[in-house]
Amino acid sequence: MEFLRRALNPWGENVPIGVSWDLIWAAVIIGAAFVVGHALLVPKKVDTGEIDEDEARGLPAKLLRHTTGARGFHWSMSVTMFALLITAFFPVIGIQFPWVTIHWIAGVLLILTVIYHIYHVFAKQDFWTMWIDRRDVEEGKLGLKAAMGQADIERPRAGKYPVDQKMFHHVAMIATLGAVVTGVLMMFRVDNFLLPMNTYMFGDTAWGWIYVIHGVCGIGLIFLVIAHVYFAIRPEKRWMTWSMINGWIDRERYLQNHDPARWTVAEAGSAAADAEGD
Amino acid sequence: MAVIRDMIPPFELFQPAGVDDAVRLMDQYGDQGWVLAGGLDTFDWFKDRIKRPAAVIDLAAVDEIRGIADGASGGLDIGAMTSLTDIAEHGGVQGAYPLLAEAAGLVATPQIRNQGTLGGNIVQDTRCWYYRSGWPCYRAGGNICYAGTRRSMNREHCIVGADRCVAVNPSDTAPALVALDAEMVVVSTSGERTFAATDFFIGPDIDIERMTVLEPGDLLTRIVLPAPWEGARWYFEKIRDRKSWDFSLVSVASMLQVQGGVIQDARIVVNSIAPYPVRMGAVEAAIRGREPSDETGQMAGEIAVEGARALRHNDYKIALTRNLVKRSIRDAA
Amino acid sequence: MAENVIGTDISPPDLRAKITGRARYAEDFRAEGMVFAKLLLSPMPHARVRSVDTSRAEAMEGVLGILRASELPQQEQGIGEAALTDEPKYEGEPILAVAAVDETTAAAAVEAIRVDFEQLPFVLDPLESLREGGPDARLDGNVGGRGEATTLKWPNSVFDEAGPDRLPMGEPATEWTIGDVDAAFDEAAVIVEETIVHQSVTHHPMEPRSCMAYWQNGKLFLHGSTQSTERTRGSVARMAGVEADDVVFIGEYCGGGFGSKISGVPSMAVPAVLSRKIGRPVMLRITRYEENYIGRARAGFQGWARIGFRGDGRMTALDLYIVQDGGPYGRASDFSTAGTVATAIYQPENMRFQGVPVYTNTPPRSAQRAPGGAQIVAMLEPLVDKAARELGVDRLEIRKINAPGHDGWLGPNQGPFTSAYVREALDLGGELFGWEEKSQLSGQRNGTKVTGVGMGLSPFTAGSTGRDGLLVIRPDGKLYVHQGIGNLGTHSIADTARPAADVLDLAWDDVVIVWGDTSKHLPFSTVQAGSQTTHAHTRANHAAATALVGLLQELAASELGGSPGDYRVSEGRVFRAGNRAAGLSFAQAAERAMAMGGRFSGEVVPEDLNDATKAAVAGLAGEGLIAAARDNYPQAGAVFTWVATFAQIELDVETGEVEIVDLASSTDCGTVMHPRSLAGQTNGGVFQGIGMAKSQRWVFDPKWGIPFTKRFYTARPPGILDVPLSPRFAAVNEPDPHTPVGAKGIGEPPVGAGEAAYACAVADAMGGLCLCRTPLTSDMILAELEGRPRPYGLLDTHV
Repeated sequence: MEFLRRALNPWGENVPIGVSWDLIWAAVIIGAAFVVGHALLVPKKVDTGEIDEDEARGLPAKLLRHTTGARGFHWSMSVTMFALLITAFFPVIGIQFPWVTIHWIAGVLLILTVIYHIYHVFAKQDFWTMWIDRRDVEEGKLGLKAAMGQADIERPRAGKYPVDQKMFHHVAMIATLGAVVTGVLMMFRVDNFLLPMNTYMFGDTAWGWIYVIHGVCGIGLIFLVIAHVYFAIRPEKRWMTWSMINGWIDRERYLQNHDPARWTVAEAGSAAADAEGD
Repeated sequence: MAVIRDMIPPFELFQPAGVDDAVRLMDQYGDQGWVLAGGLDTFDWFKDRIKRPAAVIDLAAVDEIRGIADGASGGLDIGAMTSLTDIAEHGGVQGAYPLLAEAAGLVATPQIRNQGTLGGNIVQDTRCWYYRSGWPCYRAGGNICYAGTRRSMNREHCIVGADRCVAVNPSDTAPALVALDAEMVVVSTSGERTFAATDFFIGPDIDIERMTVLEPGDLLTRIVLPAPWEGARWYFEKIRDRKSWDFSLVSVASMLQVQGGVIQDARIVVNSIAPYPVRMGAVEAAIRGREPSDETGQMAGEIAVEGARALRHNDYKIALTRNLVKRSIRDAA
Repeated sequence: MAENVIGTDISPPDLRAKITGRARYAEDFRAEGMVFAKLLLSPMPHARVRSVDTSRAEAMEGVLGILRASELPQQEQGIGEAALTDEPKYEGEPILAVAAVDETTAAAAVEAIRVDFEQLPFVLDPLESLREGGPDARLDGNVGGRGEATTLKWPNSVFDEAGPDRLPMGEPATEWTIGDVDAAFDEAAVIVEETIVHQSVTHHPMEPRSCMAYWQNGKLFLHGSTQSTERTRGSVARMAGVEADDVVFIGEYCGGGFGSKISGVPSMAVPAVLSRKIGRPVMLRITRYEENYIGRARAGFQGWARIGFRGDGRMTALDLYIVQDGGPYGRASDFSTAGTVATAIYQPENMRFQGVPVYTNTPPRSAQRAPGGAQIVAMLEPLVDKAARELGVDRLEIRKINAPGHDGWLGPNQGPFTSAYVREALDLGGELFGWEEKSQLSGQRNGTKVTGVGMGLSPFTAGSTGRDGLLVIRPDGKLYVHQGIGNLGTHSIADTARPAADVLDLAWDDVVIVWGDTSKHLPFSTVQAGSQTTHAHTRANHAAATALVGLLQELAASELGGSPGDYRVSEGRVFRAGNRAAGLSFAQAAERAMAMGGRFSGEVVPEDLNDATKAAVAGLAGEGLIAAARDNYPQAGAVFTWVATFAQIELDVETGEVEIVDLASSTDCGTVMHPRSLAGQTNGGVFQGIGMAKSQRWVFDPKWGIPFTKRFYTARPPGILDVPLSPRFAAVNEPDPHTPVGAKGIGEPPVGAGEAAYACAVADAMGGLCLCRTPLTSDMILAELEGRPRPYGLLDTHV
């Protein structure tokens, strides 16, 4: 299997023009294999561990996990991402429709969403909550062992975001930013009212790599979305999915999964606070 | 790797005697197969070694799709392998569909019309010289339109319907068939499908690598013309740089149904301004109920070019389209 | 008396073969063990070959050898062009050649070769190259000099002052002046001034320059397609690095050259050298695609002219500036010819000519049918129309006022013409066309169509002297006219033999023309260029025939008594005046000559013959009665032919399309040798000119430097439907007094006449508005009529 699509440019130079579309199927197959493998290997264990009454004292019944802004970002991103992936890849696999305009408009919306997210993160949220530190690494190791069936290991509790979520975030961030930056450049090659046509802004080889990066990121996102959706519907994770819909988690989930030392109540705020907006 | 042109590379040649065999071969070879009709488009590609199919399926012996017969609904049924000369000179076509006879008779040269087929003329690939030079443009699977840049030589290219690619449909008979509301019969191993002519052509927004709905394995076998309008007026004009062996800069095909001095119905199609023959729906709607006068033509011309956008060197196509649409109403006979 | 053949229609001896397909052109020949070669062309407009990997190609079965540039015999130094190069200066320039058992294999082998190129700066537009910091087409400079390239850059202020629509005019490379132009402008009643672009176009002969070569016993046999024959041998010898005596060149038929195949073409070196290298005959079939690159082109001009007139229509001042696009090897001197030809149209009282020949990375230029002449006629004639309108002088009249008479002069040295029946030609053409009535139709509108009428007057050089004629009467009694000239399709191999028939008073059927193969003992001749052939070789054959008559008379006198002056030559006999029976038939004369030897059978030849002719006669010696003579007829002045073409067009204001309704041409080309051939040459040239003005194009992508008009259908030379089916034609038919037959050439001047007539007629239909460029296509006309943005900048080239 070729990883790149290459062509001879008008001067007979062999240049990359994009990523091989075969990789779409590779991403789908790997994604499916991951889902099936994970579903078979990892028990669907809903955590019902006892909660520590001391810790529970003074906590509201519902704790805010995702603010409206954060949820807005997430769902806006998911809608634009699905639009982007569908418009990008369905035509390639034979489901044809006029896709370019939808694709770049969705891309522009995604960029706006990302800009909002960055603003939101810096202005309203604690940037460091998504940072992977030493405790996350430890948490990850133990979590992995627990997942692999080492029953004697008690899964450690996470901060606001479990380490696997953080890792997903970072990989998705790289793929998204890669696609976004290259996508903006590619808009110089399609007719749109935001950027002037400038087909020859870069040389052929540079353009080729821009298309390759865009393709790799896009195809990577296929896999990430498959994995993300899969975890979202895993029974033991559904409470997190719900929290992305309604914003809050209940006190029990909080104490079972989160380490109050790493994600303190005060920081967590309350469901009531959410109503006031962020 | 060095490039060489004007030298047909070897291929395996099949000469089926029937549609069934032809589509079976096409199915077998998929995108490695190439359907050969008159060869006027084909051999340009082969000579330049840009298209290099493994198998060529020559339809020369498929007699069942050659010739002109009376159609079921009072029209004509034309085999896709019928030569353009036969169409231009056929009494029935000249009598009932002079628009098509005229369009077919203006293709290229007498030699090319003898060799070229109606099917081939309809499904021929664009003549964009960037694409035809074998450059890796969008249409060739690449990531660039060389013709649409600010420095490109795009006098012959699009003013409407562009989507990354700015190539135009070069066919003379295609706009005539759309104006005549013809149907295209397509056969593949999975059966027969029929498309209205207007739906048969697709733009780069749908598929940047094709100009028609035909996919590998699909064979255009027949073109079915419905019974002509009573008292129809028609107009066809092809503007080109030379009077022979030249593709159109802009062409117009129109059918007007005029009763009591008033346009009852109309089909107006302009080609070589977009990647597909452009049916001027807004124009047709606007002229219904009006006289086919200079004023109506003037108005129609203005409507026809609404939204048209010129590239670096083809602004004249806007004026030309406007004027040809005007003529096609004013001068229809 | 045999019927005088000059001035009658005949069928030339090659006609039947051409029509029936029996004629064999270069690529129709085969030789024992022949193999095929294919070229690898440069993909870049300017590059250097860093390395070549031929290993995969050489490993292919059937590949016999590869020829690189370094293996060619050393050609001339400096700006010279070779058949192959490691520094390609245009996209499509041949890099190497591969020989293989068949073309399929050779093509596959070329595809398997990897060439590593280093890109170099390139330029398509001469003005870009003249800018400070602009790219140079060559590593050694951007402007042509005397045998070498120099560098010329103009300061930015020159470009800034000119703006986008006027030719920037910095320091020229060449300049000459007649009189005081500035003073003349001060006194002029009317001054017209325009920036004008004339395009470059490729030659597109029907037959590409295919070539087959093989070696036998150290001798090179080469079948090629050239305009000349005897004069091709030397250039082939230089290409192969051998002596001319070791070359046999065969080219009986040539499918057109138009100046691109004058005496051998660089690509001939490939089969010549490759066949020696691999020891097999090599055929190099040039394809239409390759012909587009190596087949030569006309030099393009970006020009500017200011012309001043007195109130009576006399041109008092002509100021001309031409920037020439000469391709990478700059072999065309069109721009300088243009200045000279301008004087032959208008005889301006004062004139300044300035020019710069610039190199570009586009395929090489060479002469193309009226090089420089066609361009300048097409550029200036519409301006003269514009002035005529302002002056209120009839457009035909203004040309008659300014045209040269027999006392006319040519060029910066203001030398004389041999004859100039220009006003007669203008009158004749005006009458034939019906100028007086038709010029009344100017601007008349019928529906969407507007009538325009126009005319163009086009001079060009039409002769040369000092060539040799070689005639043999063999024992079969026939006259063999050995022609060193080539058969480029103009009938001149036959037409220039006619004076021999007439001088000998011999029936045309008894004349055999020997041509097209240098082993057939051909005399020194002109190159077939510059419309010299008819003039030069009617003279040479006239001289040889006159010598032959003398030999026949001497022979008869020595055989039958009396003095040579007592004998007459007529209808295949030499006989005592008044008594046909007392004489010898040509067959008997040939036998006698062979017996007598010496001067009669070619053992002794006149000293003033060219060495090539002497060698030819030596090869024939003893085979009959042989006469060879040099053209020593006196001549004073430049030989020029003028053609006037008149056109009536209809311009559709809704589409910009132009239909030529009527065409008529007249010429002063001296004595008419062959009316049908003359009409063919004139009308063909007019059509070629119209094509350049109307539809033909040579379009390049400016970003990549690659042309698109590589096929007939994209290059769009005119077709027969683009011109009226019955163009009319007339000739003044007054003999040139400086030449015994009175004939001048005709090949070239019609091109400019057709071009100018078209341009002037279109301007006329547009109310006198000159768009001042070629090609003038319907899109440009429509944009102007509709007041829409111009499709191209006024100085843009290759559109």
